[in-house]
Amino acid sequence: MSSVDMRVRIGALELRNPVMTASGTFGSGKEYADFFDLARLGAVVTKGVSLEPWPGNPGQRIVETPSGMLNSIGLQNPGVEAFCDNDLTWLARHDVPVIVNVVGHRADEYAAVAERLEQESGVHALEVNISCPNVDAGGMAFGTTCPAAAEVVRSVRAVSTKTLIVKLSPNVTDVTEVARAVEAEGADAVSLINTLLGMVIDTRTFAPVLARGVGGLSGPAVRPVAVRMVWQVSQAVSVPVIGMGGITSAEDAAEFLLAGASGVAVGTANFMDPTTTVGVVDGLERFCQERGIEKVTDLVGAAWKR
Amino acid sequence: MCGHGPTPAIEPVVVVSNERVATGVCRVVLDAPRTAATVEPGQFVHVRIARSADFILRRPFSVHRARGERLEIIYQVVGRGTRVLEDARPGDVMDVLGPLGHGWTVPEGTTRALVVAGGLGAAPMGMLVERLAEADVQITLAQGAPSAGRLLARELFDSLCRRSVVATDDGSAGTCGFVTVLSAELLQRERPDVAYVCGPEPMQRIVAGQCAEAGVACQVSLERLMACGVGACLSCVVATRHGQKRACVDGPVFDAADVVWDSDEDPEAER
Repeated sequence: MSSVDMRVRIGALELRNPVMTASGTFGSGKEYADFFDLARLGAVVTKGVSLEPWPGNPGQRIVETPSGMLNSIGLQNPGVEAFCDNDLTWLARHDVPVIVNVVGHRADEYAAVAERLEQESGVHALEVNISCPNVDAGGMAFGTTCPAAAEVVRSVRAVSTKTLIVKLSPNVTDVTEVARAVEAEGADAVSLINTLLGMVIDTRTFAPVLARGVGGLSGPAVRPVAVRMVWQVSQAVSVPVIGMGGITSAEDAAEFLLAGASGVAVGTANFMDPTTTVGVVDGLERFCQERGIEKVTDLVGAAWKR
Repeated sequence: MCGHGPTPAIEPVVVVSNERVATGVCRVVLDAPRTAATVEPGQFVHVRIARSADFILRRPFSVHRARGERLEIIYQVVGRGTRVLEDARPGDVMDVLGPLGHGWTVPEGTTRALVVAGGLGAAPMGMLVERLAEADVQITLAQGAPSAGRLLARELFDSLCRRSVVATDDGSAGTCGFVTVLSAELLQRERPDVAYVCGPEPMQRIVAGQCAEAGVACQVSLERLMACGVGACLSCVVATRHGQKRACVDGPVFDAADVVWDSDEDPEAER
């Protein structure tokens, strides 16, 4: 369609464009294949996968909020074996890089999942999820202190040769500290932000709306927070940053690239429009064309010196 | 019959009419040729009510009827989304994602069916009753509502059902009491081949129990809050004997025998 070079590099991985799916909003892609060819994407980032099946949280699991939503799914997933048998087998038939989001209650569980996925050639990278706010043990607990984050990344790095992306939590005082800690343990990239911890209370019943009380805030409401954190982290570490948080359009995606992200992910917007990601791919290419930008990577961090 | 109907798609739609049909309940008619031609009874559409940044999620609505190129949706004005929908005027444009979900099925050899609707549970029964009537199935329909002013689609039901009875909480129409009183009696007396149930979950649970006791196959249409509508986000899970299922793709219609009902639920809850 054009001469814009849309390729980006995340660790050892070269993607045909910077646009990915945010974990947990896209299943493993199967549900969206009715709407567009997954090969149009830079990569599919799967829902979180644990060693054993996880049942997730009781309902109510979601609630709409001003320009956003809270979710409390709780990483429901069938476990890594079922994931390999079903989701990976299905994804192997599609020409798109696969990034598997990895979750655990303990550092050794993360490592066990990574070890199992090491045998799978259909897995191109791992996204280590130390930032899910919706589980009691593990998840965000690992992502909010440097030693815990480092421990998880170290244990996964020890068993995995794949490109390692670490997904960071915004629920910290200084996100650059955790970013530096995981970089030091061998992370090839960081992705941010995961959801912001939030809550909604029903004023009729006086009770929290979500069964678990709290949930993770996502959608356009969080975008300025996410852009700010991408700006900070991309200047604090030398590994690539994948930016996400409320992206609904190519302009939103460009904002993250300008802030210093090398790639972007679309999350909550998939729920409103299942074709959002391809719209962002096409729109980002047009965005570059209209401005005479030859390589999408020229946008990365372009706002730093302004 | 398998649960996977036609491929869902996003279809821009135009509002043809939008009017109140009962107390707090409206019917919106949408010009939606693709969806109207492909939707099956019991399926739903995920509606993008407004293109505002303030509406992050679509709203799922069962399809009441599909006639020609038009979809009819019956909805209760209960929250932010339906309040905005209520203000939609003819000519307004929105879009629907659909048709979605696994709808009602008519088991081989069905000759007599019992349809039990509580409150807004009458909404997904329009297409069902039409489908059953086309297949020459004898239909008995029992509808329950808080009062006469809340009964829905009576003309359609009366015209297609061999028998159509109602119950109201305040006795302003039909039997005074819950629709479950009618369903208990009809199951015993008519021995239907299958029962179709939609309404508040406690009512569905009670009717499902009555069906199990009577040895009548029972299908229930369950309602859940949902985000994606296509099976990805796992917001709308339903506990079943075969594990957690998704209301949006595995349902909304489930075999009642598979559903694990939430026993904590208050059977006196709002209907």
